[in-house]
Amino acid sequence: MSKGTGIIIAILGVVLVLAMIIGGSYNSIVTKSENVDTKSANVSVMLERRADLIPNLVNTVKGYTTHETEIIDKITKARENLLAAKDMDDKVKANDELTKSLDALMVVVENYPDLKASENFIQLSDELAGTENRIAVARKDYNDAVKSYNTAIKKFPMNIIAGMFGYEQKEYFEASEGSTKVPNVEF
Amino acid sequence: MKKKFIICLLVSFFILPDSVRAIVNPTKEFYVNDYADVLSEKNEQYIIEKSKKLEEKTGAQIVVVTVKNLERKDIESYATELFRKFGIGAKNENNGLLLLISLEERKSRIEVGYGLEGLLPDGKTGRFQDEYMIPYFKEDHFDEGILNGYKAFFKEIATYYEYTEDIDEPIEEENDIGEWITIIISFIGRNGRRTGGFYYGGNPFGRRSSNRGDSFFGGGFSGGGGFSGGGGSSRGF
Repeated sequence: MSKGTGIIIAILGVVLVLAMIIGGSYNSIVTKSENVDTKSANVSVMLERRADLIPNLVNTVKGYTTHETEIIDKITKARENLLAAKDMDDKVKANDELTKSLDALMVVVENYPDLKASENFIQLSDELAGTENRIAVARKDYNDAVKSYNTAIKKFPMNIIAGMFGYEQKEYFEASEGSTKVPNVEF
Repeated sequence: MKKKFIICLLVSFFILPDSVRAIVNPTKEFYVNDYADVLSEKNEQYIIEKSKKLEEKTGAQIVVVTVKNLERKDIESYATELFRKFGIGAKNENNGLLLLISLEERKSRIEVGYGLEGLLPDGKTGRFQDEYMIPYFKEDHFDEGILNGYKAFFKEIATYYEYTEDIDEPIEEENDIGEWITIIISFIGRNGRRTGGFYYGGNPFGRRSSNRGDSFFGGGFSGGGGFSGGGGSSRGF
């Protein structure tokens, strides 16, 4: 074996190793990024699920009350905004708005013992509380995925590869204080 | 004693990361984890037997956990974390159900794996709690309330999987406790196990060894890796 071929083999080896490192890192970034997207979609699905529960709730409340049109309008409006919201930022805002109006409703409900004790209302409250908890879980899963992704692309050699392919830091889903707590149905 | 406990709690708060702190570990019985010590031996055995059979026949898992307190977490996050840590239900089916009760906060929660959400939507789990469990919990009859709720959920899940021969009827709220006691007593006689399960052997999830030694493979079950997305319902009592 001549000296020339030896050098060529060495260079090929180095190139191969580099390609493997870059390829592996790139794939890992793609996987983590995909994971963030999946978790983000989950959050959206749960937000929609929440919005879907509102019409039933509104109808039930209407059946027992007469003077609460203002609060019901607010809820309906917030629901429409949530369904119309395009990006995550708007969705979070609309969802917070919906949370606020629902909280207000729950205060009003205290004045209607029949409504509060009705099977339909209890069931809807459970569905709503469950969905709010699902949103909280989906949000936490999303943030965990973002954290794992963001940490990965800051480290060497991932930072170089992420820079090469234009992968940037992703945003956390920051919820306002009120929307993180799940209301409890108590009797 | 109490002071020591508080110091330990404070120390653990600073040393341990959030996820490690607080959540209890699965016991070797897996299906029953009575950390608050409210279940009678008899009912523990009943639940273990039933859950074991249910898993053999259907792959679904029902796990009961009682704790003294929730370590300052809300019951929803505690339940979801515990559910995932235990891996309740089969991995691809996510057909697990967790029945959690904490004494200090006086809270209970039913947490449902993704795969059972269609069968047991949140509203239904809430109604089941109201009908079968909360009336007992309010009177501090935790042993009875847990058993009764367990039967109700067992019945739902077993019926869904068309495994009906081991169903015991739960008692609804209206019935009085005396009637319930007679039913329980009638149970003692039939606690003997049948060994007709077809699931022995090729269990893909691996089971921990245990010293119970009363069945072919030791009896220590582990979770199947099931997942929950936070579905279910909570109650205070």
